Amino acid sequence: MAVTRRDGRAGQDVLRRVGEASVLILISLASGPKHGYALIQDIRGLADVELGPGTLYGALDRLERLGLIESLPAEDRRHPYRITAPGAAALRVHLDSLERVSAAGRLRLQLGGI
Amino acid sequence: MDAQPGARLVETVLRCYPARWRRRHGEEAAELAALLIQDGTPLGSIACSYLIGAAREWLTPRPGRRLRMVASALLAVACSLGIPAGLLASTAPARAASASQSRGHTHCQPGSHEPGPSVTPATDHFRVSIWQARHGRFC
Repeated sequence: MAVTRRDGRAGQDVLRRVGEASVLILISLASGPKHGYALIQDIRGLADVELGPGTLYGALDRLERLGLIESLPAEDRRHPYRITAPGAAALRVHLDSLERVSAAGRLRLQLGGI
Repeated sequence: MDAQPGARLVETVLRCYPARWRRRHGEEAAELAALLIQDGTPLGSIACSYLIGAAREWLTPRPGRRLRMVASALLAVACSLGIPAGLLASTAPARAASASQSRGHTHCQPGSHEPGPSVTPATDHFRVSIWQARHGRFC
């Protein structure tokens, strides 16, 4: 979905519809390549979210198809995944968008005195 | 101790995934499940997660699978259209035959005092054929 910013720059927030699991995976991979088990553990510590293995592989496949992550050569039987340059750009756009919405939400709560 | 039945259950559940997925992730998924079981994750939730993942994997349209689905749909449509078309094709000559029979059977049996076949168009095509065969007449 195309998002037009206030400053006139247009960003493509491709992560808007991929689901929370995919965004969490990208955030986790932003700090370096990881395999499935490491991703689940990192996301548990990062967001207190228990990612099921079925959800994990579904999200990894989707992100790989979108070209946002790539699979590295297998170590033992594990495939580490790495975020790609388009993946990092998409994550940045998505986090910017979340930040704006979050700031607006906080401001409204403040103004509403709730 | 619990690893054996757990591993067996996970293996069974992983068999629900498409072959393409199993080739790509199968071994890694089994190992991940073993690690999660060691961590204390309930076996049921792991199996459930993989089952839901498998269902999602089958339901998610893929380029190759989409082509196969379109081909199957076309085949199904062709079959469903082909059967009535076949029925129409088989009844059309019958209609023609019965119409010509009802109009022209006097030419086939000149002087015959036998009552000819009483034919109502189309529906009695087989009765006409049987009657003709029994009387050795083929117009």
